[in-house]
Amino acid sequence: MGTTTKAIAGNEVLQQEMDKSKSRGFLKRTWPLHIMLLPAVILQFIFVYVPLGGLVIAFQDYKPYDGIFHSKWVGLEHFKFMFDYPDIKQVITNTALIAGLKIICGIIVPFVFALLLNEVSFNPFKRTVQTLVYLPYFISWVFLGGILNDMLASDGIINSVLHNWFGVKESILFLGDGNWFRFVVVLSDVWQQFGYGTIVYLAALAGVNPALYEAAEVDGATRWKQTWHVTIPSLLPIVIVVGTLALGNILNAGFDQIFNLYNPLVYSKGDIIDTFVYRTGILNGQYSLATAVGIFKSLIGFVLIIVGYKLAQKYADYKIF
Amino acid sequence: MHNSMKKLMLVSLTGVLAASLAACGSNNNTNGNKPSNDPAATSSGNAAATNNAGTDNAGSGADETGWDGKKYVEPITLTTVKGVGTNYFFKTGETMENNVLQKYMKDNLGIDVKYDWVVTDTNDAYKTKLRLMLSSGEKMPDVITYRGDMETVNMLIDSGQFMSVNELFDKYAGDEYKKAAALNPDTFLPVTRDGEKMALPVLDYAYNDDMVLWLRQDWMDKLGLQAPKTVADLEAIMDAFTNKDPDGNGKPDTFGMALGFKNGFLNWMTDVSWLFGAYGTMPGQWNKAADGTLSFGSVDPAAKQALSTLKTWMDKGWISKDSGLKDDTSGSEFFTKGQAGAIVGRNWLPDWPFGDLINNVPGAKYKAYPIPAGPDGKIGSQSGNPSVNGWMLINKKAAHPEALLRYYNFFFDNWANPQKGSEFENGFAEGYDWAKLPDGTITKDPQKYPDLFPNYADRTHLVEPIYYSLTFEGARQPALYADTMIKLYNGEAPTTPYEEQTKAVRKPENLEAMKIVMDQKDIRMKNYFQGPLTETMKSKNELLNKLVNESYSKIIYGQAPLDSFDTMVENWKKSGGDQVTKEVNDWYASASK
Repeated sequence: MGTTTKAIAGNEVLQQEMDKSKSRGFLKRTWPLHIMLLPAVILQFIFVYVPLGGLVIAFQDYKPYDGIFHSKWVGLEHFKFMFDYPDIKQVITNTALIAGLKIICGIIVPFVFALLLNEVSFNPFKRTVQTLVYLPYFISWVFLGGILNDMLASDGIINSVLHNWFGVKESILFLGDGNWFRFVVVLSDVWQQFGYGTIVYLAALAGVNPALYEAAEVDGATRWKQTWHVTIPSLLPIVIVVGTLALGNILNAGFDQIFNLYNPLVYSKGDIIDTFVYRTGILNGQYSLATAVGIFKSLIGFVLIIVGYKLAQKYADYKIF
Repeated sequence: MHNSMKKLMLVSLTGVLAASLAACGSNNNTNGNKPSNDPAATSSGNAAATNNAGTDNAGSGADETGWDGKKYVEPITLTTVKGVGTNYFFKTGETMENNVLQKYMKDNLGIDVKYDWVVTDTNDAYKTKLRLMLSSGEKMPDVITYRGDMETVNMLIDSGQFMSVNELFDKYAGDEYKKAAALNPDTFLPVTRDGEKMALPVLDYAYNDDMVLWLRQDWMDKLGLQAPKTVADLEAIMDAFTNKDPDGNGKPDTFGMALGFKNGFLNWMTDVSWLFGAYGTMPGQWNKAADGTLSFGSVDPAAKQALSTLKTWMDKGWISKDSGLKDDTSGSEFFTKGQAGAIVGRNWLPDWPFGDLINNVPGAKYKAYPIPAGPDGKIGSQSGNPSVNGWMLINKKAAHPEALLRYYNFFFDNWANPQKGSEFENGFAEGYDWAKLPDGTITKDPQKYPDLFPNYADRTHLVEPIYYSLTFEGARQPALYADTMIKLYNGEAPTTPYEEQTKAVRKPENLEAMKIVMDQKDIRMKNYFQGPLTETMKSKNELLNKLVNESYSKIIYGQAPLDSFDTMVENWKKSGGDQVTKEVNDWYASASK
């Protein structure tokens, strides 16, 4: 009881202090910073928060010529339609599976690669490799899709190699067989993205305190032990940040990529929410439905980020915010 | 919808192509005869020339709209909006609002076209802006011209701001336009609501979308093969193409036919729908059944037979294993790379993409053949729908709704098929899209003769003012294209400028293909459904298309048994197909009243 009172009293004192500092020196000292922040806040407000109002069309039977204000209200009709859609289970499963695999591989591969690259002491080589693996990140999927389509064709370079060097008789339909399709999608995505992740981890590696390594060396730790006990623990926070933020993308399996690679043969294994929305919402002009699905996706992503963050806080004692 | 937009774009693309080819071709095409007695100074570049109407008395003889037969006595204003295409080029200082054609129409017809806004039409900017205009309730201009998806046209119609054109068309459309629109009885069907025509069609050349079978003639000759009459004949040819090494490189790297059915089975190139036609149906469209009702071709029992045949083709290696991963265009590369010996497509494929074939395989030869018949002698091929490539809507509140028709009439009468010696014989305006050399020859090469084409901003492209017209290309007489091609095919000498140009540009193979199209024009199976998307279509089309395409592809690839077709049809009906069929028939009943 006594401590509580004290705490409250303490809080009050603190509050008063803060109020004082605010009214006197704080704003006086910091107003240029607030002014500098203002344009960003305004932009954010206009281009991010105001358009959120458009979400109401998910609950309307939106007709462009009637506009937001005159379209008919239909409540949760579009959400109902989405969940009644016969293939919705398959589409969500595909999405979560492909996105999940992408997230997991997208963390592990650049992490390991950064560790390996970090061990290279010849700097020009390190920089060159770093740049080279980063390059695919900038190529659009329209273009990459064309290249992959050619490479993976039944008479393409991959099948030729398999045929000539490994004696594979039947050419493999990489993009015409559902299971191969998922594999290709995840692999090519990791290939495109891992250079970016590598840079993040390399930056984190550069920030590890050298004193830790010196101490470990004094204690007689081998290179491997140093990695295990110093490097990896130091990188863990950044892995958690990246992982937590990536959780929000669990329902984004990569529209550009799938759209440029898929075909009717792999619908059952490769059709994802975004391609489904493209065909239903955009091609058939069902803007309300497209918006409803978007809300659903954001909601799931939001919940996952919060849960992921809470877990990270609880088990890794890590705070982002 | 998506497909039809592609088609439209393609049609207009060919137009551009033909025009640019014409530009290249006519350099050498000594067009010796000077326009005999060209009165006024067209060389001023201002084209305010040959104003015959000048002799008329202003005021007298004008009808209630102020039109004296040739022009508005008091110039009127017609407001519109415009998406400037990437094929529009301007002289320095000219814009959409201020250019030679705009002035010409104002001076000679008294129609002053004003633009509420103009946007560069990349990434569907025009469509987006139109839709924004609708949703924000902005005031609509007098006239909206739109080329693209039907959905936007329907949206415009549904907005209720545009008038029925029934009376206008009857009263003010010129004979040429009326004749052109009447070539196909369905021309107005897509925009008819309760018997009211809600938009005017922009017409394009007819029979240009029809299919012929193209074969590699050098392979045919080498292997001593005969023209295919039936699908069975064609199969024998495909087998020879696949197994007898027609390209003579000793490798088994050739096959029968180029196909690409990733996006469906009714394609504008690399088409396979004709094989369904050989069994009596047409996939992806609404056909008329024996009892007069409309039914969807993809779920017709005849389609199952076609699929079974296609599966055989794939098993025998007559078509590529990658056919299901290719769309219309990428599938055509099988042919242009010299891998496949057959492709089904339109009469003008020699212009594009067959140029690639000649580049890739020097000495390759191709020839058009009629679409072969099925086992029961049935032949069927797609198209047969009206050749409309855009729509024009007129505001209910427009002060001069008839002005648009007069504008269009003018181009039908003077531009669509100009006679020798007439004003537009060589192009729209001298110094713009044509010029006369000192020896009287006509040139269309601004790069070679910079003095004759003054004020060009970009000399690599001919400035063609006709594209600035409200009606996209001035006017096109639908029958003209095919008629001219047949005339030339028969060896008749070209007489009009249009015929001369066609002769200069079109390859002999192209003429022959057009002849085949016209000989076979009775095999065309039109899509009877021309209305706006029905309610169930909007919500279920995606699901239904997915069902069909997935099932078709899996059957052809052997990933599902042939009998899964029947399951698919059951599913299709249950999942909304029956409802859609009902709605389509309701529409047909109301539209064909």
